[in-house]
Amino acid sequence: MRYFRKLFYLILLVSILLTACGSESPVVVDTPPVFSTSELSGGATTIFDASSHAFSIPAPNLSPAALEKHLDGDVEFEAVFVTAPAVVNPGLGPIYNNVSCINCHSRDGRGRPPGTDEGLVSLLFRLSLPKTEDAMDGKPPIPVPGFGTQLNNRAIINASPEGKVKIDYTEQTLTTEDGTRVHLRYPDYTFTETYQPLPEAVEVSPRVAPAVFGLGLLEAIPEDVILAYADETDANGDGISGKPNFVWDVVEQRYTLGRFGWKANQPTLLQQVAAAYNDDMGLTTSLFQTENSAGQPQLTAHSATPEVSDEILDVVTFYVQTLAVPARRNVDDPQVKQGEQLFAEAQCASCHVPTLRTGVLTGVPSVSNQTIHPYTDLLLHDMGPDLADNRPDFHASGTEWRTPPLWGIGLVKRVNGHTNFLHDGRARDLMEAILWHGGEAEASRQAVEQMSKVERDALIAFLESL
Amino acid sequence: MKLYKVWTLLCCLLLASAFVVGCGSEEDDEHDEHDHGEAFDAGAMLDNFSNNVVLATYTDLDNKAGDLLAAVKALEADTSQANLEKAQQAWKATRTPWEQSEAFLFGPVDTQGLDPALDSWPVDHVNLQSVLDSNDALTVDFVSGLEDTQKGFHTIEFLLFRDGNQRKASDITDRELAYLVSTTENLKASTAQLRLAWAPEGENFSNTVAQAGTGSTVYPSQSAAVQEMVNGMIVIADEVANGKISDPYNESDTTLVESQFSFNSISDFQDNIRGIQNVYMGKFMTDGQGLNEFVNGKDAELDARFQQEVQAAIDAIGAIPDPFRDSITANRGAVQTAIDAVSKVQQTLEQDILPLVQSSEFN
Repeated sequence: MRYFRKLFYLILLVSILLTACGSESPVVVDTPPVFSTSELSGGATTIFDASSHAFSIPAPNLSPAALEKHLDGDVEFEAVFVTAPAVVNPGLGPIYNNVSCINCHSRDGRGRPPGTDEGLVSLLFRLSLPKTEDAMDGKPPIPVPGFGTQLNNRAIINASPEGKVKIDYTEQTLTTEDGTRVHLRYPDYTFTETYQPLPEAVEVSPRVAPAVFGLGLLEAIPEDVILAYADETDANGDGISGKPNFVWDVVEQRYTLGRFGWKANQPTLLQQVAAAYNDDMGLTTSLFQTENSAGQPQLTAHSATPEVSDEILDVVTFYVQTLAVPARRNVDDPQVKQGEQLFAEAQCASCHVPTLRTGVLTGVPSVSNQTIHPYTDLLLHDMGPDLADNRPDFHASGTEWRTPPLWGIGLVKRVNGHTNFLHDGRARDLMEAILWHGGEAEASRQAVEQMSKVERDALIAFLESL
Repeated sequence: MKLYKVWTLLCCLLLASAFVVGCGSEEDDEHDEHDHGEAFDAGAMLDNFSNNVVLATYTDLDNKAGDLLAAVKALEADTSQANLEKAQQAWKATRTPWEQSEAFLFGPVDTQGLDPALDSWPVDHVNLQSVLDSNDALTVDFVSGLEDTQKGFHTIEFLLFRDGNQRKASDITDRELAYLVSTTENLKASTAQLRLAWAPEGENFSNTVAQAGTGSTVYPSQSAAVQEMVNGMIVIADEVANGKISDPYNESDTTLVESQFSFNSISDFQDNIRGIQNVYMGKFMTDGQGLNEFVNGKDAELDARFQQEVQAAIDAIGAIPDPFRDSITANRGAVQTAIDAVSKVQQTLEQDILPLVQSSEFN
């Protein structure tokens, strides 16, 4: 492959445009095309690597000082926490889901539901109580007494885990227009060994750990760009709405646009990282100074100072802001090109928006002012009853999910050794994931069902090139 | 993955060259200025790598783990100083293939969570002591259900060694012995799982790598699999140079030293680099086609230089006076020399060998 030459010429091209010859403004794309054949999914943060390290490489355009900071964050992202007191990384728990960032976000990639005889590793369960007045009041979910908003299925010795989860799948067969049979598995979750009874009415939302590369680029997309794609009342009548979530920003102390998480319930990567330390590992930070086990019998001692320092929080946030996006592969393959066309024709690109332009993310010039191909609009969409978690989260209803980015999706098998997709990993390959789409995506799914096998293969070939 | 400082350097160089080139030549990118000759068939190399290096290393690891298990069982049956010493030797012998296997930390060792199961650090001393102080029956099932930070190499190491010295066999409690046997059973189960994941009679990941570009479900091209090989070596070179040796050295902090209960650090680091040597030369128990033949065909000088650099790094680590934990303050020159030698290996992999692989045509 000639990746290096391509990188060389990209930089050459950009430098020329930026410097001596002609225009002083950077490369500007006024009207993003419906789809792009560009390999440079992450703009100048794109990396050319076809190995299982493809999600774990620093953006190539970091300054030496920024790279140092990224590498410091990398060490902390891998840091394993243990029970306090300890010399190295104390403060775990007392209740938690995992002991390090990397244990869920393996190789900075995508988690999966456990296989037979495996415990929960990279899948967790959000919990809440139903709202009695207005379920869609735009407020955060109501914690379950004794459990909070997340099931912590692990605990340090002498503390009780909150419970375990048993997952059963029921197979159903779906037949496409040309007679191809596709098997879908419906998950069913049973909570067992709960340390105290869970209320009957508990709302449950399973979430697998998402990949963590390219996130700084998503954070750098200007709010007005995202809001321009919103069409809450479907004014253009295409059956697709697109709704922003507005969520509580603990730093700003006000509601701001949600971008991260399966329901876009985190406004910034700083808050996302701090929330993960708190909810998933039982570690306090200056943002979340209360233990996730506060008010529960597991908590016997509380550290007065945050268990994770601001310095660590800062470098880990920077780390996930500055992981490179892997380049597309086989973009000139005729089958891939056909699939790309079909992706657009089936209106997949209405939500999985191929091309966006980032603005300026303060302190992170490497992700600023980039043309990127994330295949998301970062908005909420009704995905129908089959995928619904029925757990509202700020403005996200029980059937709405944020469009997940598709970049790198064709490398998940190589990086993470599986092809489990969707919020709970129920889909076992890309075609299953497509066929789970309902609600606003109903027409798109039907279009795929009506495709010939050759066309569906082309669609998958396109997705695998991402 | 904490590495790739070279990317920045590379981009700076490319940027600089762009300025030199100036205006106008941005459109001739179809011109192939790198002519590396005809496509290379990496089939034999990948087959040798997966079977005679990776699977052979994991098989050795599993065999040694079996020896370790027998040794700790013997120690439990007769807690003599001689049996303790045998168990310690068996631990070190098991450590060798594991550290060498860190030159290919991809595939099932990662996707099946076996790396943390075998080699988590730090040890959760508080939890371990709580379990030892409890009345819980220390069965294999019970211990296997505990966190990775209370299992694996370093927990076993902690139970067998203290401060680089032999524990007094008479100090080892019955609860510690029971825990030791159960956690070693658990380690042996993990090494068996790892071996089987690559073995033809198991999930046969060896075949997945060997068949790259010809039906592999993971590697659509030989290039992708060869990049995997090179990246595996880069990761461990980076880890040794910038993590394992540099972190305790820069901080002068002995709590950051790997294998700090047994003082086995220098052997660990050397075995990491020997793992690079194994992958590059295609050699573990048997010698087959390695990356060296591919590199030699493209650039004989590079091949010779890299082989020399790898050996120099192994030697430089070996020249650090034992124990490493004392040398980070007492022999800083020797430690710095070793860091520089391993960094050179990393640099050549990143700046010369990976680009050579990425710019070459494979079958």
